[in-house]
Amino acid sequence: MYSSAHPREYPACSGCSLCRLVCPMWRARRDPRYSPEGIAKARQNGAEAAELAEVLDACTLCGACDPVCPEDIALTDMIVDLRRELELPPDLAVLQVGYQQAAADASAAPAGALLLPGAALHADAGLLARVEALLGLRAAQDDGADLAVALEIGGDIDPVRKRRFLAGLEGRSLVVGDGLLLRWLRRELPGARLQGLGQVLGNLPAIRRRIASADFYVIEARAYHADQPRLVAHYDALRKETGCAINLDLQRIAVPPRASGYPGLRMGPSAEDLAQAGWMLHGRQPARVLVENPAERDLLRRVAGVPVLHLAELADA
Amino acid sequence: MDIPLVEPGTVGPCPVAPDALQGIVRQQTNPARWNGEGWPGFVAELRTAGVDVAESASARGIFATDAGGTAYGMPHGVVVARSAAQVAVLLRAAQAHRVPVTARGGGLTTEGESVAYGGVLLDMTGMSRVLTIDRAAMTVRTEAGIYWHGLAEELRREGLDYLSAPLNMTSSVGGTLGVGGIDVNSARLGCSADQAIALQVVTPTGEIVECSDSENAELFQRVILGYGQFGVITEATLKIRPYTPLSMHYYYYSTLREAIDDLQLLDRNDASDYSGILTIMDCAVNLLVAFDSAEREAAFKANWEKQLRGHGEFGFALCMVGHYARRPWRLGEALYLLKRKQAVFPEFRRPEFHRDGRMDDRTVVFSRAVWKHWGSRNMVIPDLATTADKFVEAVERGNAVCRKYFRHYTLYCVGIKLRADHAAHYEMSCIPPGAEGWAYGCEFEPMIEGEVYSRDHFQSFKNAIYDIGVDMGASYYRFGGMMKGYIRRVFGDALVDRHLAMKRKADPAMILNRDVIF
Repeated sequence: MYSSAHPREYPACSGCSLCRLVCPMWRARRDPRYSPEGIAKARQNGAEAAELAEVLDACTLCGACDPVCPEDIALTDMIVDLRRELELPPDLAVLQVGYQQAAADASAAPAGALLLPGAALHADAGLLARVEALLGLRAAQDDGADLAVALEIGGDIDPVRKRRFLAGLEGRSLVVGDGLLLRWLRRELPGARLQGLGQVLGNLPAIRRRIASADFYVIEARAYHADQPRLVAHYDALRKETGCAINLDLQRIAVPPRASGYPGLRMGPSAEDLAQAGWMLHGRQPARVLVENPAERDLLRRVAGVPVLHLAELADA
Repeated sequence: MDIPLVEPGTVGPCPVAPDALQGIVRQQTNPARWNGEGWPGFVAELRTAGVDVAESASARGIFATDAGGTAYGMPHGVVVARSAAQVAVLLRAAQAHRVPVTARGGGLTTEGESVAYGGVLLDMTGMSRVLTIDRAAMTVRTEAGIYWHGLAEELRREGLDYLSAPLNMTSSVGGTLGVGGIDVNSARLGCSADQAIALQVVTPTGEIVECSDSENAELFQRVILGYGQFGVITEATLKIRPYTPLSMHYYYYSTLREAIDDLQLLDRNDASDYSGILTIMDCAVNLLVAFDSAEREAAFKANWEKQLRGHGEFGFALCMVGHYARRPWRLGEALYLLKRKQAVFPEFRRPEFHRDGRMDDRTVVFSRAVWKHWGSRNMVIPDLATTADKFVEAVERGNAVCRKYFRHYTLYCVGIKLRADHAAHYEMSCIPPGAEGWAYGCEFEPMIEGEVYSRDHFQSFKNAIYDIGVDMGASYYRFGGMMKGYIRRVFGDALVDRHLAMKRKADPAMILNRDVIF
């Protein structure tokens, strides 16, 4: 590392290529342009966001590159910032507006600890009810889904909306289902007690004791990588206690099951997603696949050939 | 000044010879940029053949330098390798249009060997898939652009591992086989290049050839450790083995000589599975010893450990306290050692990379530490490779040079078991002439630590190290690129001219990896 200046940005990239090793975008294409290093180097050589639009759209924002960068460059932030300079994908902008409307119509959040389930869990009422019951928490009607979409697509966040959302959460204990929103809340709410939904569910005895050594456990990559130095110990303990296999590579980076941009927002897995999910499961022969992120269930059901369950479903399994 | 014209691809006057540029400090120089003549026709031919050539500055800029960070050059265009057939098309067109081709894997060269000074850069990482794993034969067939770490990820899913590879996750298989590849088990298993059983090579004139010790053996001999002069490796068949975590032990010395003696003692007696020396300057000299099995570890403890003169961590700390108490004027050095220890040691003991006291993956642990605590914008790592008997002297002389040029530095020493049947592979390579049994290598790496040094300072340092090699009849791992002026001095005209003649025959337009060796 040749400078201790923070925040670290693309000029600090020395081209070590370590980010390529964990990048699903690169793995799917094997083209150096499709990697955080490729983007940083392109920026160093004068490229503007528009020239990089195809690459920026391909990024899954899984965050795997952030913990492996020896220069501590905020690579995911670099990509999100560049997306802000692009035209919004029309289909996703419409989606954001829909979530904004739902947030405007939402009733005030109940007092105390709160669940922010995220769009994928909200879309599955049965699973959401099960999660609420397991955690003994009520889900907020306004769970920031519009903000999560804005973070993902590089859309603007209205300052008034942001203030109103955060004001209701300051100082609380929050369980957050959307990894990207969790990452953002960590910065915006330093006083809040924030945990990812997967981590919290995995700690419940009713669930943990049902995780078997023949299971393959799929960590939600975004939440994990945003707090990897701390969470690696959590998942190491889970592995030791249950004997299950986990989607961690040799660097203890979570292998995400998707390799194309805007995972969970666009319908249907791409060929890259299917190949990436296949790679994640390559060489494994699990009896079941357990996912933290409900948005990954359908994709994994297409490639796993064994039951794929959300952690919350495990309590009754 | 009368500077004679030099035909491209031939060896000109030696810029680092003692009598070169009399009175002028010897400086490193990038090769001249290729003038671009023939590029439009070359690109048109490739595009007609369906080969994508990226010419944007953003695509080319990814490859502007290598891990060394002191050589800079831009290719005219970049081609991501996709198949041997595509590489063959590219090389045939390059011969016809006389376009230089720079093949690049992980880009971990330090002397600009994988930097293109014009022409086309062939990014081999596009060919990075594992093709087949043969458990019965314990071999893997892989595309050669794969990173060793990528190969490890695939093999580990099957409970398997490669034998030896550089302790850097972004080294590529093809690049490594072309130069050697040193691991901390090389004293037992040889260099990585010795693990290759067979290769698919695209020759500089575009033929796709399978080669091994028994098939097209001459090409195999020239491509292995051949610094990319005689072909592009597109596939490789490598030996593999069952995966085992390893148990690591560290012994600390305050002198290089004792540590090297003990390293060689272990190597000679096959007393450990892994061995190497990593230092903080010459003050804290760490001999690492590791084992794949409890049986080997027990045998070491019973037979060899007591003979080692190194200390455990606590005992060494006491020695250091005593040492610096008697030399209070060197308190700054003591504080540096302490700071460095606190920063680096935890990296080697991170719990997520260990299970039940055994290290899961040495390359992950060491490579993370290397990039975090040794890596920087400039990685200047001159080295010396000698016969076993000359090694102590070479390291001590190199160490004196390090002390003269830099406040802080590190040394990395390791043995390389040589295969008598691979003598032909070793010709004009990092394996020193005349070495039998083992060769030994030492890297001399200054710690840059945010300080600014001129390229001239770096070059003067490298020359001082390399001059030791000339004086002692050694070799170097990094003798190509900007250091190629040393090639004739260490190997002699007769050998170099013989290889040059072979190169001219194999690569008539002298387009492949120009300026690396010739």
